[in-house]
Amino acid sequence: MKSDEQLMLEYKGGSPHAFEQLFERYRNPVYGFFRRRLNNAGRAEELAQETFVVILRGTEQYEPTAKFRTYMYSIALKQLWSERRKALREGKFAAASQEEKFESDPATGLWIRGALEQLDPDHREVLMLREYEQLSYDEIAEVLAVPVNTVRSRLSRARSELKGLLESPSAKGVSR
Amino acid sequence: MSRKEHPVWEDELMPFMDGQLDPAQASVIEEHLKECEECAAMVADARGLSMQMRAWEVENSSDKIGEHVLADLQGHEKKRRRQQQWAWWSRNRMWAYGLGGALAAAALVAVVLMPHQEKDLVQLFELERDASLETAPPPPPSEGQQGQQGQQPQAALKQELPETKVAQEAPSGPMVIRNARLTILTKEFESARARIQAIVQQTMGYLDQLTVRGETGSGKALSATLRLPASQIESGLVELRKLGKVLEESQTSSDVTSQYVDLQARLTNARNTEQRLLALQRERTDKLTDVVGVEREIARVREEIERMEAQRKDVFNKTQFATIQVELSEEYRAEIQPSAPSAGTQLHNALIDGYHAALNSFLGLTLFVLRYGPALLLWAIVLVPVALLLRRRLQGLRTS
Repeated sequence: MKSDEQLMLEYKGGSPHAFEQLFERYRNPVYGFFRRRLNNAGRAEELAQETFVVILRGTEQYEPTAKFRTYMYSIALKQLWSERRKALREGKFAAASQEEKFESDPATGLWIRGALEQLDPDHREVLMLREYEQLSYDEIAEVLAVPVNTVRSRLSRARSELKGLLESPSAKGVSR
Repeated sequence: MSRKEHPVWEDELMPFMDGQLDPAQASVIEEHLKECEECAAMVADARGLSMQMRAWEVENSSDKIGEHVLADLQGHEKKRRRQQQWAWWSRNRMWAYGLGGALAAAALVAVVLMPHQEKDLVQLFELERDASLETAPPPPPSEGQQGQQGQQPQAALKQELPETKVAQEAPSGPMVIRNARLTILTKEFESARARIQAIVQQTMGYLDQLTVRGETGSGKALSATLRLPASQIESGLVELRKLGKVLEESQTSSDVTSQYVDLQARLTNARNTEQRLLALQRERTDKLTDVVGVEREIARVREEIERMEAQRKDVFNKTQFATIQVELSEEYRAEIQPSAPSAGTQLHNALIDGYHAALNSFLGLTLFVLRYGPALLLWAIVLVPVALLLRRRLQGLRTS
C-alpha cells in the first residue's frame, strides 16, 4: 500500500486517482475529528469537506518533508478553531450543544463527551489527538506547535483528570 | 523514591502504554511492570481509560461529503490543467514568440518575393516561347526623317537586342525610362558627326535617327536620336559634351515599373485564357457554332496577347536603352564669293525679271478685279444714289 506522502506526491504530479485514494482513506477519520469536537453533524461534515478542499487547493504548497497526517490535522485543527471562534461570536455554541445527539452510542458518547468537556482545553486536545486520531507524540507536538515534553505532560494530566471525572458519581449519574 | 529504588518514572509509563518508546526502553519498563504492582496498575488504568474513550464511536461520513469533495477535485483538476497549459505557455513563451516571429518573417519574405518569382516564371515562359519563334528583324527607318546629306543605312546602325537577352535581363528593381537632350555648337562638324557614331558603337548602343541639313549662307546642322544602354548614358553624355560648346542640356526620367508589371500580369492572364480555350477547343467537338465561337475567341485572345507582348517589349527596351537627342550645329564662317556675272548676263536677267514683273502685275490686277469687282459694283449701286440724295438736300438747305 502506498504511503500518504506518496499518494500526495502522485496527485501533485497530476494523478487525480491518488487524491481519491487519500480521500477514501481519511474521509471518516476527518469527519470523526470534527464530529467529536462539534455538536452539529452537518457542520462537522461541511468542515471535513472544507478541510479536503483546502488540501486540494494547497497541493502546490505541500512539501513531502511533512507527514501528510500532520499536515491534514493541522488544517483540520485550524478549521476547528475558526469554527469555535465564530460560534463564540454568535453565541450559538452552548445552545447547539444541548440539541445534538450521537447516533452510534448515545449513552457512551454523552458520558465520555461530558467528561472531556470538563477538561482543560489544551489537555483535552492532546488527549483526543492521541486517542481518537492516533497521532504520535511528535505528530501532536507538530500539529499543536508545542514541545514533545509538553505533549507528554499534558497527556498525563489529561488522563489523570479524565479518570477522576469518569469515576466521579456525577459523571456516572449523567451517563447511566 | 529514588531512581535506584524505582527505575521507572511515572511519566514514562504513558509513552510506554502509547507505544512511543524505543524497544530498549520498552523492554526495561516491561520488566519493571512484572515486579512493580503500582506501576502495572497505573498502566492498566490508562489502558482502561483509553478503551473507555475509544468506545465513543461516531457514525461514518455521508456520501454527500464524497460527492462534494470529488466534484471539487474535478473542478480543481480542470483548473490545474489550464494552469499547466498556461505554465507551458509561460515557460515556452519566448520560444513561441520566436517561432511566431520567424514564421511571420518567412511569410513576409514570401509575400515580398512572390511577385518577383511570378515575374521570373513569366520571363521563363517567354524565354521558352521566344526561343521557338524566329526573331523578327527590326523595322527599317522611315526615309522622311533623313535629310538630303544624311541618308544613312540606319538598319545597319541599329542593333536590335535579341529577344532572349531581353527576357534574361528583365530587372527586378524599378524600371526607369531615361531621356536626355543636348544642343551643341561645334566648329568641326564632320569630325563631330564621326565622333557621334563612334560613341554609339563604343557604348553598344544604336543610332535611332539621324538628319543632317546644310544650306548656303549658314552652317550645317545635325539632329540625331541615340539609343544607348541605360548603364552607359552617363559616359555617353560625357563624351558627347566634348563635341563642342553645349548650348542646352536637359535630362528626364519616368518610372514605368507599375505599367510593366501590369502588362505582365495581363499577359499571363491572357495566356492562361488562351490555354483554357485551346483545351476547350480540343474537348468541345459537338456543335459547330460552339467550335466556331471558341475559334473566334482564341483569335481575339491571341491578337490581344501579341499586342500586349509588343507593348511589354517596347517598355522593356525603353528602360534598357536611354534616349539621347543630339542637336549639333556648325559655327558658320562666311566664305569669299566667286566673281560677279557678265553685263550681258545681267541685262538678260534684268529683261527677264522685267517681263516677269509686268506679267505678275497684270496678273495681279486681273485677279484683284475678278476677286473684288463684283463686291465693289454692288456697294456702288447701293451707296451712289444715297450720296446723290444727300447732296441735293444739302444744296436745298443752303439756298433757302
